[in-house]
Amino acid sequence: MEHHNPLEQFAIQRIVPLHIGGIDVSITNSTVFMVLAIALITLFLTLAMRSGSLVPTRWQSMAELSYEFIGNMIRENVGNEGRRYFPFIFSLFMFVLFCNLLGLIPYSFTVTSHIIVTFALAAVVFIGVTIIGFIRNGAGFLRLFVPSGVPIFLLPLIIVIEFLSYLTRPISLSVRLFANMMAGHTVLAVFGGFVVALGILAGWMPLAFIVAMIGLELIIAILQAYVFAILTCIYLNDAFHVHH
Amino acid sequence: MTEDPSPPPPEEFANRLRDLRKQVDGDNGAVDKPAAAAPGSAMGLAFRVGIELASGLVLGGGLGWLLDRWWHTSPAMLILFFFLGAAAGMVNVFRTAREINRRD
Repeated sequence: MEHHNPLEQFAIQRIVPLHIGGIDVSITNSTVFMVLAIALITLFLTLAMRSGSLVPTRWQSMAELSYEFIGNMIRENVGNEGRRYFPFIFSLFMFVLFCNLLGLIPYSFTVTSHIIVTFALAAVVFIGVTIIGFIRNGAGFLRLFVPSGVPIFLLPLIIVIEFLSYLTRPISLSVRLFANMMAGHTVLAVFGGFVVALGILAGWMPLAFIVAMIGLELIIAILQAYVFAILTCIYLNDAFHVHH
Repeated sequence: MTEDPSPPPPEEFANRLRDLRKQVDGDNGAVDKPAAAAPGSAMGLAFRVGIELASGLVLGGGLGWLLDRWWHTSPAMLILFFFLGAAAGMVNVFRTAREINRRD
């Protein structure tokens, strides 16, 4: 009991130590769960769509539902031009979703509870959207920072604020996912400790709380994957339709 | 539905999709509104808005601190960018709130 720290679950452990050119590229528990998530997604989608029948089976309809879900999300938030980026957003959504869900299995590791992972994902989105915006609009993309109808003497201040607001996107995108996952898992672990500490007499109370909490965490896991994907769509929309 | 070796051109695909959607929409009215009304949304909303505000502060503070280090102007830039970051955070909160209102 004395070794059980609620934050211990987030520790990165090297499973296969590897050093290439002085860079630590060890295979860690984080790596394993990322690969596991990708393998499960591939397995789920290929196996579910194997028959590809017109009247879907249960698995096929799950795969089609997730496809439709992201397809509609892009259609509603970006429009038809966004369909080209469907593979990226779908992969992003499925990866975050599976990492979140895998993390809910006891004794597993939650990849998305590390800010470096979520920040890397958010940075890819941010840099990608910025590049797409400049490719599609040229210098006109900079109009994003100039809202219309602002008095000229306020413009310098507004531009700086708009620019900072644009730069906060990767931070808020990554922190939101990371904080939600980490907070939930920490609360679960803390209450797990209460169960042990209170023993057989009162331990059932935190245990009941954990059961309810797991349900909430399941919602949050799905919701955060959804939020991550929809915000990516909203940012992508800015790259296509520059207006404020 | 057999696998087509080459996908149709995007425009054709878009047209087919639109026609199909029209058929489906005609059949059963409103289709596919994604479950935007998030469950447990009060806490989620607070979380979301709070993070928007905090990320502005963090970015402003961090940027100001960096500029101070480069230009040796400590603490002028830190103070300036802290407030600019706070303003950016508030802009974010405002946008988020507006977007949530529109979604409902």
